[in-house]
Amino acid sequence: MKESLKRIFNAGWTNFKRNSYLSLGTTGVMALVLFLFSALLALNFLSLKVVSSLQEKVDVTAYFKAVATEDEIMKVKDDLSEWSQISNVEYISRDQALEEFKARHAGDILIQDSLAELDDNPLQASLNIKASNPSQYAEIVTFLEGNKFRTLVDKINFYENEEVISRVEKISQSIQNWGMLLTLGLAVIAVLITFNTIRLTIYNQKQEIEIMRLVGGSNWHIRAPFLVEGGIYGVFAAIVTLVIFYPVIYLASPKVELVMPNASLIGYFAANAFKYIGMVLFVGTMLGVVSSAVAIRRFLKV
Amino acid sequence: MIQYKNVSTIYDDNFMALDGVSLEIKLGELVSLVGPSGAGKSTLLKLLTREIVPSQGEVYVDKVNLANLSEGDVPLLRRKIGTIFQDFKLLSNKNAFENVAFALEVCGASSEEIETDVPKVLGIVGLQEKINSFPYQMSGGEKQRLAIARALIHRPNIILADEPTGNLDMVNSYDVVKLLLKINELGTTVILATHNREIVNSIGRRVVTMEKGKVVRDQVEEGKYII
Repeated sequence: MKESLKRIFNAGWTNFKRNSYLSLGTTGVMALVLFLFSALLALNFLSLKVVSSLQEKVDVTAYFKAVATEDEIMKVKDDLSEWSQISNVEYISRDQALEEFKARHAGDILIQDSLAELDDNPLQASLNIKASNPSQYAEIVTFLEGNKFRTLVDKINFYENEEVISRVEKISQSIQNWGMLLTLGLAVIAVLITFNTIRLTIYNQKQEIEIMRLVGGSNWHIRAPFLVEGGIYGVFAAIVTLVIFYPVIYLASPKVELVMPNASLIGYFAANAFKYIGMVLFVGTMLGVVSSAVAIRRFLKV
Repeated sequence: MIQYKNVSTIYDDNFMALDGVSLEIKLGELVSLVGPSGAGKSTLLKLLTREIVPSQGEVYVDKVNLANLSEGDVPLLRRKIGTIFQDFKLLSNKNAFENVAFALEVCGASSEEIETDVPKVLGIVGLQEKINSFPYQMSGGEKQRLAIARALIHRPNIILADEPTGNLDMVNSYDVVKLLLKINELGTTVILATHNREIVNSIGRRVVTMEKGKVVRDQVEEGKYII
């Protein structure tokens, strides 16, 4: 068993070495396919970043009447905090709101003067609520409206933001859906290209396969070295891809960050290096082995 | 050992390659199959390796009806038979040693056996110097001797030689025939399909003459090429 495995691996490796031009071509095409696959991963990462940064910009604020005490508002905050769909609730007191308002309009003398004229703080205390998913805002608002402290709430700006929220949600959804569709489509093309390349490689050795059959080689004896050869194409293609991909990402990352400050491509691929390298190696090897297995089936009937 | 019982073979294009052939070949015989091209010599040999199945009749090897073999048993049948072809059918990607070793590997031989037997057989056919050469680095005669070495390596009971001298000059042809005679002396059944008159006449053993898919003459001893 050990001996025949060794023989199979040797035969596969020898085949790979001796058909150097063909091997180089096939490995090149597969590397291209794996590179495309890696680019899709990067694109996927960026589109998720776009979606989440859009989602971060959306929130709902509940403004409380002046009669509401801080304790009462904190109770509402605690109630909301228990929800798993809510990622963050921030309390802004009346004084804080005034400070922020003043700071924001520091250069506007008219506003500063008008505020000074007033005896009382005209601004309201509020709770700024961020949900983990924009589709949950409607539910949160329903909860607030049904809450026992409903009478303390003056207004919820959800209704003003509703259209924006639903638009963001739609955009996020379509980015994700199209991304998925694109990934799937390109993955199918990638598999077809690899399959056809390997099939051509094996077609070139059609006569050899026929001879092996004629001298009494069983299907398995003939097939196994080709599967190993396919696997070797995959491993080499994966190595070539990694050697090219990381420098490309390293160079592209700062440029991407100019447009999207939060999206560090190199950071993402460095943090997930083991996972990514393992995945490229696995996908490459499987692509090679499976394509060989399918391609050789046609030539085994002599 | 080998028996054809009323065998007919009709190819897809309706060409009748064999027409009711009955023939028996005994263990250890050397039989020359002669006749013009298209007489059915190669078809007769292909039936023995189950490359084709007869349209009618039965073919037996060691009392086994080849029509009853399962797909998985066909490689086992082929390992009992050594085949030599006019176009050599060598594995172009493998060198001389590996070409011969492959036939042993498929039989499940150990690495030690391969290491000792292959150089020995290459020595018998006079190719010890060419052990690391690839087929494209060899002459026609050398390729055919390599093919013979491959056919011999697993000590088959039957050797089928289909026009083995078709691509060779006279000197190389006689070398090949001498090798076949030597193999036959060791007890292996040899079936030689050829239309080379000089070769057949020089062997002087059983000669089966075919024409248009039929056996027209079977000279059991001291046969000559007569058409």
